Amino acid sequence: MIALQHRLSLGLVAVLLVVGLIFAQGSLWLFDLGLRRYLQNYLREEAEALLIAMVRGPQGLQLDEQRIGPGYQRPLSGHYFRIDFDDRVWRSRSLWDHTLPRPEAAGLQEGLSDGPSDQHLLVYRADYRRFGRELSISVAHDYTPVLDSFRRLRQLILWLGAGALLLIVLLQRWTVHRALRPLESARQQIAQLQSGQRGELDRDVPPELEPLVAQINHLLAHTESTLKRSRNALGNLGHALKTPLAVLLSLANREELQAHPDLQARLQEQLAQIEQLLARELGRARLAGEALPKARFDCAAELPGLFETLAMIHDRNLDLRWQAPPGLRLPWDREDLLELLGNLLDNACKWARGQVTLDIEPVETGFQLTIDDDGPGIAAEAREQVLDRGSRLDEQVPGHGLGLGIVRDIVDAWAGSLALEESPLGGLRVRILLPARGPDVR
Amino acid sequence: MRLLLVEDHVPLADELVAGLGRQGYAVDWLADGRDAAYQGACEPYDLIILDLGLPGKPGLEVLREWRAGGLTTPVLILTARDSWAERIEGLKTGADDYLSKPFHPEELNLRIQALLRRAHGLANQPQLEAAGLQLDEARQCVGRNGEWIELTAAEFRLLRYFMLHPGQLLSKTHLAEHLYDGEKERDSNVIEVHVNRLRGKLGREVIETRRGQGYRYNGAGG
Repeated sequence: MIALQHRLSLGLVAVLLVVGLIFAQGSLWLFDLGLRRYLQNYLREEAEALLIAMVRGPQGLQLDEQRIGPGYQRPLSGHYFRIDFDDRVWRSRSLWDHTLPRPEAAGLQEGLSDGPSDQHLLVYRADYRRFGRELSISVAHDYTPVLDSFRRLRQLILWLGAGALLLIVLLQRWTVHRALRPLESARQQIAQLQSGQRGELDRDVPPELEPLVAQINHLLAHTESTLKRSRNALGNLGHALKTPLAVLLSLANREELQAHPDLQARLQEQLAQIEQLLARELGRARLAGEALPKARFDCAAELPGLFETLAMIHDRNLDLRWQAPPGLRLPWDREDLLELLGNLLDNACKWARGQVTLDIEPVETGFQLTIDDDGPGIAAEAREQVLDRGSRLDEQVPGHGLGLGIVRDIVDAWAGSLALEESPLGGLRVRILLPARGPDVR
Repeated sequence: MRLLLVEDHVPLADELVAGLGRQGYAVDWLADGRDAAYQGACEPYDLIILDLGLPGKPGLEVLREWRAGGLTTPVLILTARDSWAERIEGLKTGADDYLSKPFHPEELNLRIQALLRRAHGLANQPQLEAAGLQLDEARQCVGRNGEWIELTAAEFRLLRYFMLHPGQLLSKTHLAEHLYDGEKERDSNVIEVHVNRLRGKLGREVIETRRGQGYRYNGAGG
């Protein structure tokens, strides 16, 4: 798409050019027409004057030199005539050695004829009958000065027109820029929305933009409430399923069943499968994923709570640290990110000997999250396998934990990547790269 | 140890009450959030197990009221809502631990034991130890110098309470309040009988009698 600004400029320039050219050319043409009509009258009067100057002399018809204008005497003066009668042709002296051709028809001639010394002549022919003879008088007038001044005028108009056009385009750009300023601010706000610096768009906009802004805000609120509702419903469903499951788990451990260890083992195995599946699928269904909800992850606000929780759950004097640039907000759903970090850090805490660190830093393509622990780590050849299975890193440590399963789901939903590496602390390093959202994250 | 269980799902509550009873805890059970908010604040519980989805009043709201009222009893949240966001919110509200459903009964027992030890300043012990005695809470027997002595359920409860409060003077009424649930007849003579049996098994010096005041646990070194 071409930017609105350019589109408006292009349209305006095209219209102005067409209108300006038609107007300039048209007015020149009308002026030319008027001038020729005026000259036609003048030429007819000249022809009549010549007719009157024809007198009967001693050798028949002759031209009374006293009565014709001096312009016809001076060579190349720009005033010429030619009189045809019987088989004779009289030419004005001013024509010098040039022959003025006799026009085909009477009246003002359409085009211009070539005259002496590159002059362009406007020619008028009148037919009379005098002294019992047919007379054809052609009068010509040099039109070159008029053409020259037309050319100069056209150039002037061209320059003036170009100047006016430039001025108008500049003014128009300025006006459009001013008029489009709310659009520009809306564009910036949308970029901020995508980078997580803002929860909704400003409502203070011109009436043309109001429906758009209102609709976007409405959609955001709608996404938010849908997410909340579906999470709530999933929570209720989970509650409804997990509580009876807890009863079953408890029943399966009853002393009465210990007489039938086979039965008990199979019951427990099946229940464990249901439990895992339920947790995984409910967890996956809770994800906001690509949606653009209002609640963003404010590192400074969320991480302390998460780390306190971890310290409380893993109550064995672990050194837990996090590091993120001040004021950093990650443009993803708060609960999703807590789930991602919670699971990874929980894993790290289970394995760590004494230290777990989290680093969040913006990189060129998005954000990098690094989780390190000083536990036993995973051998390089086993890492691939762990990732492939999407499996439980925490199989050997009892208690809660879905391990990498839900983490993989979240990272995949955000088109991110996850890598297992060796940590400088000695244990495992989980490095997650999340690409920035939207086309513009300035 | 007297526990309050707040859980509205009756079959689960039945299981838990029975299971916790086997572990030697006196358990009061409530299903309604409003009752829990009141009773939890005025009865001397040693630990509270709280479900979050309660009728009457949400669990988190109940917890908030308790903490606002200055209640310091350790609270273990037991819920099916196990996302990290909810977990963090629960612990921020003042819970001491969080266990998500479904859970292994063994896991619940371990969490309760750990929480009780932590609440009495005995953190980081895999086993309850006080003044030279070790208590195996799973087998309900007491160890002294590598020798294990079997205990009856009543003796076990009493000794556990003593061992969680080493060196403290405990009156008979106090002990009765914390060893029996709200529905049992509290007979302080029963406590006297059990104290004497413990002395018979472990030696007179383990529990000292302060006439007119109560008992004090001194352990093997007393």
